[in-house]
Amino acid sequence: MSSKANLDVLSRQVAYSGEGISVKSLETDIQKERTIQDNKVEELKVLRERNVNIQSAMAEELKKLRKFSDYLNGTATNGGFWAGFKEVLSYIPGLGSMSMSQRSIEELLKAQYQISARRVKEAAEYVDTLKQSEQDLYKEIDRINVRIVEMAKNEREALNYVLELKALQEQLEGEEQAVEAGSVEQRDIQANIDKVRAKLAEHSTNVQLYGSAEERYARLKENTRKLADTIRNLAQDIQQYTTASSIKLDMASAQIQAIGRAADASTVMLEMKRSLDVMTESMNVTTQFVSDTQIFFRTNLDTFINELDTFDEKTSTVLEDNLRKSKEVEDARIQAAIDKAVKRSGAPAASPPSPSGA
Amino acid sequence: MTVVALHTQALVQPEAATYLDLLGRSLHAARLSNGFPERRPLQQSLETLAESLRLGLHGELYVDSRAGLPNLASFTRPLTDKSVARESLARMGDRAALQARAGEAELFARLAAKHAYYEKLQDRELAPVDDHRVLLRRHDPASGTAAFRIELTKLDASGVYVRLQIELTQVSSLWRRKVIDLAEDGETAAANEAFRSMVYRCADLDAEALFMRLHGAEGVSVERVQRGVIGPVLFAMPTGSGVQVIRTAEAPDDALGREWHAWSVGAGAAEHERPELLAAFATDSAALDIREERSNDPISPLLRDRLRDQEQARYRALRERYPFKVFKDRKFVATPGLKAVAHATCAAAGTKNMIYALQLA
Repeated sequence: MSSKANLDVLSRQVAYSGEGISVKSLETDIQKERTIQDNKVEELKVLRERNVNIQSAMAEELKKLRKFSDYLNGTATNGGFWAGFKEVLSYIPGLGSMSMSQRSIEELLKAQYQISARRVKEAAEYVDTLKQSEQDLYKEIDRINVRIVEMAKNEREALNYVLELKALQEQLEGEEQAVEAGSVEQRDIQANIDKVRAKLAEHSTNVQLYGSAEERYARLKENTRKLADTIRNLAQDIQQYTTASSIKLDMASAQIQAIGRAADASTVMLEMKRSLDVMTESMNVTTQFVSDTQIFFRTNLDTFINELDTFDEKTSTVLEDNLRKSKEVEDARIQAAIDKAVKRSGAPAASPPSPSGA
Repeated sequence: MTVVALHTQALVQPEAATYLDLLGRSLHAARLSNGFPERRPLQQSLETLAESLRLGLHGELYVDSRAGLPNLASFTRPLTDKSVARESLARMGDRAALQARAGEAELFARLAAKHAYYEKLQDRELAPVDDHRVLLRRHDPASGTAAFRIELTKLDASGVYVRLQIELTQVSSLWRRKVIDLAEDGETAAANEAFRSMVYRCADLDAEALFMRLHGAEGVSVERVQRGVIGPVLFAMPTGSGVQVIRTAEAPDDALGREWHAWSVGAGAAEHERPELLAAFATDSAALDIREERSNDPISPLLRDRLRDQEQARYRALRERYPFKVFKDRKFVATPGLKAVAHATCAAAGTKNMIYALQLA
């Protein structure tokens, strides 16, 4: 006598997408994504170091320009105006050994202008690097989204199949009650129940794995989005500051030339001071930006790295916990089956199977 | 007319591109001798500026509103870009990879273009803001005599681009402080800082004044002072709508400036449809081997012709101490609409000058 239940469920292939899943493959995939994130964080760390260097250089430039401004303002040190001015000149590359009376102020200011323009340009160039990183991360988010959808679909497939198996199991167990104990029919039904249980074990694990994967990918995405947002904000800040500095330098260029020539003629020192004030303002803006981004890096990047560590630890714990619980259920099932078998045969109960034998 | 800062005009696209194109071609049309700043680096700087504007790397072109040439900020931009190019290229990665991602985001198309810009820029020789060189012409160790040529290329504070060449001979002696130091190899030389700075400061003086100023230096005998000046450049660029015309905002107050002004309010005022540009290229020499002293420069007569009668005698006495003569000349390159301005300027001064045609693209 054959079972009335639809046993086709047992032979049906479940349409999971992707390459299949296991604890190991999930760990490997997640690790790949994490590596991408880690690389971006490393890039940010390098940028932070570079930022420190630019900040030091900018501070030096600013110091020179402030000195110019101070001496021209008549607030020279004890050595008097010219002694102070000679000190200022010594800051300019290549001019350190020259005496004040020999210098062309126009040439000197133009040289200083070019150094300042280069500093601003160097800082501005990082905007492109950051925007490139931001785009890479958005591409990564797209990829993770595909994985999330894939995991969600697979979890749904697994859940549906588990429900079908559960229904089949209940139906078979019902049929089993209706047939004579120890009969061929009962043995046949029991054989099918075993097959159902084996399938249930396999696909209930899949439910957990795909569910866990979906959740982990979603968290990865969240972190990647945070990283992308951090980078975008930083790029915007740098762009804003360097654009402002660049405009101010552009506006000061004609004044610098004009005042340089005027100073060469030993006149219009006050005008020179004004010109330098404009340039100093520009340098102030740029220094402000470097200082701000420094704080930005310090507060955001460190927090971000800490969050990543926390996230990693948390998900590992979750995954391990899931696996442990899953194993317990599995072991309980197998033990129950053994208990039943033992009960029937009258043999002594065996110990629960070791984890590797499950 | 937009003057955005002291002596600074801002040009945006497409007028900036038209201006740079006309200016670049005017340099070629002017057939510049080596008495002028080197044409090729200047043209390459202009091309670089045009490319950076086209790619949107810079939004505006800053022009000196008196001289009509790119100002210090604009001259510095290509030089700064070139100085960061190598490092930026290393960070940007492979251009083909950037191009492959062009469809992904606008950023990658822009970076690929910028990559090409930086690559090209690395090989370009750009116009310097300042360039000072001392070249040894002859050296006679026996007599301690050395002949040098000092070359200074400078974006002058007046906005024009100048090349100054001074040929001089120095006789060294133990008790004299040399203005130029010859290296031990007898082949390389460098001016001492005082002399170098004096030349730099005096670069905007005319050749006659400079000759007398330098000839007084200890142990130095000046043979030739030659200045080659690019500028001023006068331009009128119709904006996209053709309703407004952007012109050189602070044209010089001389014969050329006055003719330009007359054109701007007269015939030029009606020129709303096509861009116009007039560039002046002046040479000014004071040298021992010039036979006849004269000026063929319609906007820079000889000093003697500008002096009042009571100053003439003192001037003649001064000149008798120096055996050089002065020759000044100026040539023009002009688009069809502005040729009349150049002709009128020359006619008013009674000079006969080369006026080269600059065809519109």
